[in-house]
Amino acid sequence: MKYIVPALGTIAAVALFATSNFKASPAIAAESSKKVDTFKQLELFADVMARVRSDYVVDVEDNLLIEDAINGMLQSLDPHSSYMNADTFRDMQDVTAGEYGGLGMEVTSDSGFVKVVAPIDNTPASKAGIEAGDYITEIDGESLIGMGLTEAVDQMRGKPGEPITVTIVRKDEDPMEITMVRAIIPQNRATYQIKDGIPVVRISQFNDKTESSMKAAITAARNDLGGKLPGLVLDLRRNPGGLLDQSIKVSSAFLDGGDVVSTRGRRSNDVQEYSAEKGDMLKNVPIVVLIDNASASASEIVAGAIQDRERGLVVGMTSFGKGSVQSIIPLRGGRDGAIRLTTQRYYTPSGRSIQGTGIEPDIFVSAEPEDENARKTFRESDLPNAIKNELEAAEAEKEAEIKIEYPPADFSEDGDFQLDKAIEILKTGTYKTLMAAAG
Amino acid sequence: MSRFPKGLIAATLAASLMLGAGATAQVYSKKTDAQKRAEDAAMIEKLRLFGDVFSRVRDLSVEETPDDELIAAAMNGALSALDPHSSYVPPARFEEQQVEQRREYGGLGIEVTQELGLVKVQYALEDGPAFKAGIRTGDYITAVEGEKVRGKSLDEAIKGMKGLAGDPVTVTVLNAQNVTKDIVVIRQQVRGRAVRHRVLDGLGYVFLETFNNDNLARDLERALDDLKRQIGGDIPGLILDLRGNRGGLLDQSVDVSSLFLDGGEVLSSRGRTPEETERYHAKPGQYDADMPIVVLINSGSASAAEIVAGALQDRGRAVVLGRRSFGKGSVQSVIPLGSPVESLGALRLTTQRYYTPSGGSIQGRGIMPDLLVALSPDSGKLEKRFREDSLRNSLGNPDDSDYIEKYEDIDYPPEDWPIDEDYQLSKAKDLLRSSRYQSLVAEFNR
Repeated sequence: MKYIVPALGTIAAVALFATSNFKASPAIAAESSKKVDTFKQLELFADVMARVRSDYVVDVEDNLLIEDAINGMLQSLDPHSSYMNADTFRDMQDVTAGEYGGLGMEVTSDSGFVKVVAPIDNTPASKAGIEAGDYITEIDGESLIGMGLTEAVDQMRGKPGEPITVTIVRKDEDPMEITMVRAIIPQNRATYQIKDGIPVVRISQFNDKTESSMKAAITAARNDLGGKLPGLVLDLRRNPGGLLDQSIKVSSAFLDGGDVVSTRGRRSNDVQEYSAEKGDMLKNVPIVVLIDNASASASEIVAGAIQDRERGLVVGMTSFGKGSVQSIIPLRGGRDGAIRLTTQRYYTPSGRSIQGTGIEPDIFVSAEPEDENARKTFRESDLPNAIKNELEAAEAEKEAEIKIEYPPADFSEDGDFQLDKAIEILKTGTYKTLMAAAG
Repeated sequence: MSRFPKGLIAATLAASLMLGAGATAQVYSKKTDAQKRAEDAAMIEKLRLFGDVFSRVRDLSVEETPDDELIAAAMNGALSALDPHSSYVPPARFEEQQVEQRREYGGLGIEVTQELGLVKVQYALEDGPAFKAGIRTGDYITAVEGEKVRGKSLDEAIKGMKGLAGDPVTVTVLNAQNVTKDIVVIRQQVRGRAVRHRVLDGLGYVFLETFNNDNLARDLERALDDLKRQIGGDIPGLILDLRGNRGGLLDQSVDVSSLFLDGGEVLSSRGRTPEETERYHAKPGQYDADMPIVVLINSGSASAAEIVAGALQDRGRAVVLGRRSFGKGSVQSVIPLGSPVESLGALRLTTQRYYTPSGGSIQGRGIMPDLLVALSPDSGKLEKRFREDSLRNSLGNPDDSDYIEKYEDIDYPPEDWPIDEDYQLSKAKDLLRSSRYQSLVAEFNR
């Protein structure tokens, strides 16, 4: 191993800093020493970058070097913070404008791998059988180990019609290659069906058509049932979230004013509260919200609001736990790209943070039969560096007492045990008892 | 948190860069001053961008993160994107490394490093409990006792691995096939043995497990003496088994090569400019000039092992048999940062590549055997092996000509070959006993 004597050429810069900022006041001494530390760290960074430029074994592209540094810093914060360079930022705006094709799944990063939060209904991903909790280890034969999430997502996007092969690793199964064709991701509307006389409204993502299509679905269901609604199942399973304002509007449809969700940043004054509008479109109609471990973000806001406001019962399994807000901050108006930074967390009306723990259902019902080797449910708290929830410890203790209802061994594979249970709760009148118990 | 004026951050970064660059300006006379000025200006612009992001993260991020952690993550982001072996070493860790270069952890019989934010098994001792439980060199450890290692310092990550002999520990391992599994290892007292030798059908066989041993060349010489004694005369042929050998100390690879070479070049290491080239030579005199040697390598033979195989191959001193080696042919310099008064850690930076005596770089391609012989049965196609060039953003080789193993060139064990028989070793023995060895060597030396 070789040592190179460091060239310490930055002392002059220290002096420059010291003369311009130090004030001879003991009151700000601590503050000043903190600034010196910050300065020292920045100087260290510039020093290391200079050495890489001069001593690395091959020529280095300055652009990429600094972009990788920025990305390294952001990704160390949490899996959802990252840097987009000017090109990627422009592409991202195209994606929201619907000009780009994709696979239709919400992904996150775990231990350097891309992990699927949930595939969206009616997309290449869901049609190809991609499941929540799957790892994506390769794209077109190239390993993703160590690749940033943004870059991986970028690779999955492309022109509609272009094929892509991903390698999927699923627990206790051999890695498999799945080829899909990229497509424009549909803006799914809310749909409904009537099952055993109960309307079941399915929301698979929160886009700008969600509230209006949900209201239309409920109206149509009411007409089908001759104008009377005995109850409603709101199915938010495998819904990875989407637009915040839509989650508030959806919640608002069932709440007569009052809190829906609040977002809080690091500073105590950085609080935003979101409220429901007056009027409940389903006054006195019992509601069961179905969630599972792939219900994330906006889905969890709705489930949390309905639960905390005691407007309905939440049934299923503990949700994903993505309760953090990312702000997209353009740099120099986007000419330097943008950063996606976790700036706030969501809190339910009773003040619970969704981040990490997710929403716990009032009634635990599993979709899969009980199995000792069942794959562990995948939640945000499994993520590296997942922002710690202040209440995590308390929640963990509670977990030991949870009673979960599993489908019987002979339950049909095509059946939907969670939905059956939801309907049973609404039809048998146990809803009231359970609501009283939950409250 | 103390607010730090944004303008000041940019000014700080720019000033540091200018002064830092000044120290090395003379070296690169190839570039004109104007070119350099333009590049520096672009770099300063980029540093300004970095300063901008840094201050926003400090102001807006939902959780407060200490400055040194932010900067360490930034440096590692830049360095790990260069290649998998460059990294920033924080002060506490650097201090430890200076005390002892090599550490053996908690009786699992593995040596670990940090790579891509995970713990990588740099070396799994064959006699060790981890190896017996199925952990192999090159595997990544993603969790210890269910606790994820990512985002932790190496010391923090391996804390859970240390413990008393006899106690079990559960580690989650990601292997070369990208499969993750939980493995329970019973901790044990382990001691490494770098050289193992025996007489094999009248031939000498020496297995070198690692080059991480200060006495390796000396122990090897003793082993050869002992083989001579057992055989009762000259060794009629030597098999030097470097399979799975991950390398270690550079000087040991030179000393081991020197044992079999009468002077001359063993390797050179070369940086970006010709002035940086360093050449390493064998001492005059060799162990037994007439002793035929077959060197066994596979995709797990790396670094120092590749230097030995490459030197003996290029110099026509041995026939190399097996599979293409790993391809770790880069040198990392450890550059201390900060001042003598206050350490700010160190920069581990790839500064040079290794070249064999004929001038080929080992990096990314490894050593191609003279005879391609497989250990595992023929599956009908070339099976993927984990090598340096399978690592994402690994440093390439300056020569980009074709250097892959071809399926049709590989000698696979016949279908009825017993599963517990070592086909590569058997072929090495056959070669040493046939006249083909001499004709191959004659061909190399022509």
